[in-house]
Amino acid sequence: MVKNIVRFPSDEWIKIFKEELNNNKAYEEAAKDWEGDFLFVITPDEDLKKETVFYIDLWHGKCRDAYLVKGEKNAMFVFKGPYSNWKKVIRKELDPIRGLIRGLFTVEGDSRVILDQAKAAQELVNTASKIPVVF
Amino acid sequence: MERTIDCFFWNPNLGVEDGLDFTYEEVGNGITLKKPIFTIDVLEKIIAGIKKARQDYLLNHDIPAVLDAIDKVTALWMDPGYKGRKMARDVLPTVTGFSVEMIESWGFDYFFDILKKENLPLLGKLQPNNFREFSSLGDGLVKAYGKSYIHHSNYQPEVIGHICAGNILGLAAFEMVMDKLVDAATWVKVPSEEPVFGALYAKSIEEIDPLLAHTIAVLPFGSDNTMVQEFLFSKSDIVRATGGENARKNLSELAEKYKVPLAGHWHKFSFITIAREYLDSQAREIAELASLDVCAWDQQGCFSPQEIFAETGGSVSPKDFAKLLAEEMETTSRALPKGTNSGKMHVLDGYYQYFTKEMMGEPVKIFPSSTHQWLVIYDESTTNFEPSPLFRVIRVKPISDIMEIPKRVKPIGTFLQTVGVAIPHDRLIPFADAMGEAGATNIRTISSMTLQKAWEPWDGRFPLNELFEHDAVHWVSIDTRDIATEIKTALQRKRSIVDQRRSPQRK
Repeated sequence: MVKNIVRFPSDEWIKIFKEELNNNKAYEEAAKDWEGDFLFVITPDEDLKKETVFYIDLWHGKCRDAYLVKGEKNAMFVFKGPYSNWKKVIRKELDPIRGLIRGLFTVEGDSRVILDQAKAAQELVNTASKIPVVF
Repeated sequence: MERTIDCFFWNPNLGVEDGLDFTYEEVGNGITLKKPIFTIDVLEKIIAGIKKARQDYLLNHDIPAVLDAIDKVTALWMDPGYKGRKMARDVLPTVTGFSVEMIESWGFDYFFDILKKENLPLLGKLQPNNFREFSSLGDGLVKAYGKSYIHHSNYQPEVIGHICAGNILGLAAFEMVMDKLVDAATWVKVPSEEPVFGALYAKSIEEIDPLLAHTIAVLPFGSDNTMVQEFLFSKSDIVRATGGENARKNLSELAEKYKVPLAGHWHKFSFITIAREYLDSQAREIAELASLDVCAWDQQGCFSPQEIFAETGGSVSPKDFAKLLAEEMETTSRALPKGTNSGKMHVLDGYYQYFTKEMMGEPVKIFPSSTHQWLVIYDESTTNFEPSPLFRVIRVKPISDIMEIPKRVKPIGTFLQTVGVAIPHDRLIPFADAMGEAGATNIRTISSMTLQKAWEPWDGRFPLNELFEHDAVHWVSIDTRDIATEIKTALQRKRSIVDQRRSPQRK
């Protein structure tokens, strides 16, 4: 159970996200076939001055590793968008898959693989939305 | 057999049909087209209905479920035994004037490929700065020209309107699918020349997912019905339209009046370019492929070739190529015959015009069909680009260097669209680049000019992105990264069509 309000984006947030994700049975089921790591890139806009990058290693319904990236890092997929759109996703105002199709986010890597994992993506969002945050 | 075809579709539960009068138009072969006479009151209810269906269902529906529904609808239409396809097969030749072979083969067997789930353009927005050189996209290449000055942006359109031209069969289906990918309610004005397929397709969606279908209204009305058009524009977040010069002028004024962004696709010119490297032992194969581009949709599409530029210096001269093309036109025309709208007078006009020139000793040679089904003209009297009379009339013109072509077509750059090519890869990229600079938008392997790939831009803009955002970027695509292989594949496809049509007709 998460009690503390944390800042998004921050290393503290991504660590809690990992913990919550590994407690999410619905995600475990939805992502049981998933193999691949992500960089979630939050690009600056009027409310965020500096680009922030999270690394998340997802493997068969579990999160093996997650942290704030300092320096260079590569991953199978790079999911990238402005801070304002990430806020909408975390507030469940924007489905990330719909955001991808509309071009509100971009992906490097095979976007069709992600589109096939829409249910898992929804559980990632459900998990993120349960973490009390301050933007 | 007498039959009456509904040329309209909306959620039948709206109960608006009782308040409508209908027209009944007999089009021959026992076929009567039923069209509503709209009132504003009824249109209000229809638009409110598609908006409610969007709000209640589409916005809460998973995108994968939408994709699955579209895929199931596509599978229906790719089945020759599907009742909707059988109905289309029975009715469309009479309504459109295209032959049943053309509708079955080029229409259903190949057009619907673009609507398969795995081919849908779900790429998001491309960043122009990542495509300042021809770069990979799909199985081809794209390049961005111009600056990304954004003059319209709305990522959540509620209602999208579509005004479809009559020369592109299946366009209404494509538009319905695009809108569902972006969670928008849809109204489609189907063309007077072909008001049938849109409603048949919407009904096929209803068979698979009724609530998804109820976000769609298919509305047949005349282009001169300003009352209906003004009302629909006033209710739309964006309108995408295809049509000729009159449509461009009238709809642009309407869009301005109601401050509605208009994504317009207007009159265009397309042509073929053949490099000397392909005018050798492969010349007959290239003639086979060129004949398919000329025959497809009886040359009525904006992507249909109006001229062929053949480069000199190969072992087969442009004039001899014209002769080969004439032989292949005969073969291909037997497999994909013209329908009732044969444009015979256009062909005869072309024949007599060039017959006179030939008799007068001009450097012209005509290769006619004995039945005036098609006409190939070899013409070295001018190197200027000239529109064709269409209906399978094609001019072959010699050119000493294909890189001369971009300069020659530059004056009509804003009207350029598709360039069908048989050019080796090392010469293709600079040619495509020069054509892109001149204004062309799609470089396609010869015989594929009318087969848009789902990932390709359309008139320089990506069809899905165009529904959200308008900018000054002009995208140019090459439909393959390996033209030699693409030509081999195209040849297999072309020969399978010809062979199939030599066999007894499918049931």
